[in-house]
Amino acid sequence: MTTTIATTPSMSAATPWIRRIPLVVVLMLIPMAAINLVAFILPVARLAMISFIESRSGGVLTDTFTLENYIDFFTDSFSVELISNSLLLGFIVTLATLICAYPIALFLHRVSPRWRNFLFVITISPLLVSSVVRTYGWMVLLGDQGVVNGLLMSAGIIQTPVRLVNNSLGVYIGMVEVLIPYMALSLIAGFGRLDMVFEEAAASLGANSWTRFRRVILPLTMPGIALGCLLCFVLAISSFITPKLLGGGRVFLLATEIYDQAVIQLEWPSAAATSVIVLIIFGLALALYSRVVKRFD
Amino acid sequence: MSSAELREHAPAAPIWDAKTPADPTFLKLKGVTKSYGGGFLAVDDLDINLPKGKLLGLLGPSGCGKTTTLRMIAGLQDITSGTISIEGDDISQRPPYRRDIGLVFQNYALFPHMTVAENVAFGLDMRGVSKSEARGRVEEALEMVRLPGYGARKPKEMSGGQQQRVALARALVIRPRILLLDEPLSNLDAKLRDDMRVEIREIQQRLEITTVFVTHDQVEALTMCDLVGVMHGGKLAQLGTPEDIYERPANLFVAEFVGRANVLGCEIEAVDRVRIGSSTYPCDTKGASSGKATAALRPHRIQLSPSRDRSLVSIATNSTHGKVVRVTYIGDVVQYDIDIGGSVLTTEVHTSSAGHSFRTGEKLLCEWKPEDMQIFKGGR
Repeated sequence: MTTTIATTPSMSAATPWIRRIPLVVVLMLIPMAAINLVAFILPVARLAMISFIESRSGGVLTDTFTLENYIDFFTDSFSVELISNSLLLGFIVTLATLICAYPIALFLHRVSPRWRNFLFVITISPLLVSSVVRTYGWMVLLGDQGVVNGLLMSAGIIQTPVRLVNNSLGVYIGMVEVLIPYMALSLIAGFGRLDMVFEEAAASLGANSWTRFRRVILPLTMPGIALGCLLCFVLAISSFITPKLLGGGRVFLLATEIYDQAVIQLEWPSAAATSVIVLIIFGLALALYSRVVKRFD
Repeated sequence: MSSAELREHAPAAPIWDAKTPADPTFLKLKGVTKSYGGGFLAVDDLDINLPKGKLLGLLGPSGCGKTTTLRMIAGLQDITSGTISIEGDDISQRPPYRRDIGLVFQNYALFPHMTVAENVAFGLDMRGVSKSEARGRVEEALEMVRLPGYGARKPKEMSGGQQQRVALARALVIRPRILLLDEPLSNLDAKLRDDMRVEIREIQQRLEITTVFVTHDQVEALTMCDLVGVMHGGKLAQLGTPEDIYERPANLFVAEFVGRANVLGCEIEAVDRVRIGSSTYPCDTKGASSGKATAALRPHRIQLSPSRDRSLVSIATNSTHGKVVRVTYIGDVVQYDIDIGGSVLTTEVHTSSAGHSFRTGEKLLCEWKPEDMQIFKGGR
């Protein structure tokens, strides 16, 4: 991003770009760079390394490098199920979160400034409560004796309780609620270009409300949608507390598998290999995001 | 129509060029009112008839209701009461996308995610015009605004003036029944504004499209429009030709808002003269024979000459002696502020290469024609 860095005209183009960065900028970047190096880049490098190490039974690490961990992963049919479960969770939860959060974000974007800040705080206030607590709340609500089943039965819509928890449905419901604030935040952040005047212009040119949404609002909010989807997809695939609690041990995902491999089976190299595969999925999602953003910029 | 009738002209009365056989009520606003909560009337019982092919300028200070009026015609704001019709077709309750109106916004409002061609084609697409026909009409419209071949560009790659032309092309390509322009020139710099003024007027006249133009700039209103509606506090202060508005303002607000005017308190002595200070001046009081009044006098309608020329003064003109208290050189004119005993008259004299002739402290004779002094009932 050399274009954003202020340069004085006296500096020639031949000067290496790094030398053209003002000293104060370098100094201000150092703390974050150091933290990132120690707390992110080095651990990830170490993780990638462990994924290539051979382990003996009981989780003892050897000094031998091997591709065994990856070969095991890809030859196991259970892995296919893990990947497809995780991707399905990622897509469904992201889409459902988008559908729930989009109207909220659009409303917050349009509401008068007098109310905006207050409503904005309300929207993101669930973040003040730990997702573990909220997940337990959902277990109570969605259980066989829970409020939701109770209401549906007393309304006569169902005769026997519907299984809403300890399965994928429960995980989806819980995840969507956990992720809505993140999605709403990202959407609002990406709605910068959306202005009422574009809708008015479209209306004057003959576009009804559906066409205005499709041809004007949706494309203009695409940066926000892409950002929110990326964030929620990554969070959905990497979360394991909510799937573990609401899945009741019956929903198998990459994140829960990594936890089991590392903490229960003590198979660190296998866990590391699975983690690297998750990282690659995230990398692909990021690449897709950049393409969408470029396309709609 | 006599000037006296014009001054007392009710807004609903038609004013149009007698040569034009056009429908005098192509666009008709009848009792149009917009009120917000708390009883505030943004637009108060507006009656306007606009003949086909004419350009109406709505002129007024900010908050006078001119933009609200335009937005109600466009359907972007609900009307509280009254009707708006085009060719007798009541569109008051119709949503904007079914009004067949071309609208140009102050900040252009070009869709940033579309190219220029896509922007211009948008309205055609909404009307189900075939792709091939649309392509031709888009190129035609871009040629009309002198931007041929710019179709592939994105709006952000164009200057403000170019974006404004694209906005105009986008509004006109759909061949709307009327064209609405909301302060279209106010975001352009002065030189470009002059060019665009001429260009918009030329296109409007060539297409003979009935147009409503909102502006706070009196020069735009006077130079471009067939009719000018001066708005004040949600009401129409005067509706007339630019010349009516400037030469025969219906009230003090119009006299002061359009052009500049010296405003002097006076006492009506008879139907043909008023007293200002200790002097009496002949003028038309519009029938009033007594009471307090206000006189308005344009600075450049006052003739200045050295005091000694008194003998040349015609009895048909008003005159008074005064002393120059301030000289302001503006370039094309020099402004002399002249103390005429109690009040100060602002006057303007065109400059010449010989320089300006009067100095501070000099005694001068100020003269003006009785018909150049407008009298409005009521003091200040």
